Amino acid sequence: MPPKTINPPKRKGPAFKPPRPVNATKPTATKRASATTAARAAGVTKKATTSRQNAQQATTIISSSESEDQGEAPREDSDRDELMDDASDDEPRDHQPAPAQATQTSPIPSQLLNRLLHENFEDEGTQIQKGAMNLVEKYMDIFVREAIARADVERRAAAKEGGIMDGFLHVEDLEKLAPQLVLDF
Amino acid sequence: MASNEAAAEREERLKSALWYAIGQFVDDECINRNLNATPRFIGALTELVYTQIANTSRDLETFSKHGGRRVINTDDVMLLTRRNEGLEEVLKKELDRLRAEEGRGADAQPKKRGRPSGAGVAKGKGKAKQ
Repeated sequence: MPPKTINPPKRKGPAFKPPRPVNATKPTATKRASATTAARAAGVTKKATTSRQNAQQATTIISSSESEDQGEAPREDSDRDELMDDASDDEPRDHQPAPAQATQTSPIPSQLLNRLLHENFEDEGTQIQKGAMNLVEKYMDIFVREAIARADVERRAAAKEGGIMDGFLHVEDLEKLAPQLVLDF
Repeated sequence: MASNEAAAEREERLKSALWYAIGQFVDDECINRNLNATPRFIGALTELVYTQIANTSRDLETFSKHGGRRVINTDDVMLLTRRNEGLEEVLKKELDRLRAEEGRGADAQPKKRGRPSGAGVAKGKGKAKQ
């Protein structure tokens, strides 16, 4: 079934990316953006919307070096969304088969994940199909990406409340998002 | 006692490996997002991911046992997403993509067979499950 028909409304949700050039990694970024957006659709759409606002406010505050971008930021943003929508229709077919890219973007090497899974089986004899293994890989990939994306949102929220604004992800951010994240997975 | 220690050490080593992998990934991701992450953040994220993997593997094992199998198949993995529609959609697409890559239909039907990992998933002409 064509991917487009299912979630155009979801994809409209803002990606978590600040409006900056994405340079060489663009196809990957596209893939990730649509993946995360869709994954988030279950419960955090509202959050995502606020994050866009936060993001823009954060840009206004952060530093003088970025003040030039301010005027253009919203427009670039909407442009980008359209680009992504178009791209995600055509590009996955072209780019996903590239194995180099796939290995590059996976947070956990498959052998390590395989080992970790088997370590935690209670029954030594339990096996896992190759296809299922690939799917678990994707699952963990989404999990880690979600964690980082949500941490970024938390960081912006904290910065907005007058906390530290050093552009660092802190453990506190992770602590705030962990319960919901684990519930969502 | 000795085996306990050995197990603990093995777990530590696996965690270190995971830490390294997660660290690499977080660094890449941070460059893309123009961010930074504290080392403690990476450590905490590693713990979170490790726990999640442990839970996942126990879930998968339970699911396949419930299905009367000893081999985890893709249906079991799809069950992980039962509470999150968005996630289910994404994984389903990934599943379809993987099958398309296999280039010969899909297996889907839980006709488990003790295939050793390393062999392809797809076999038989059965079409998409569920």
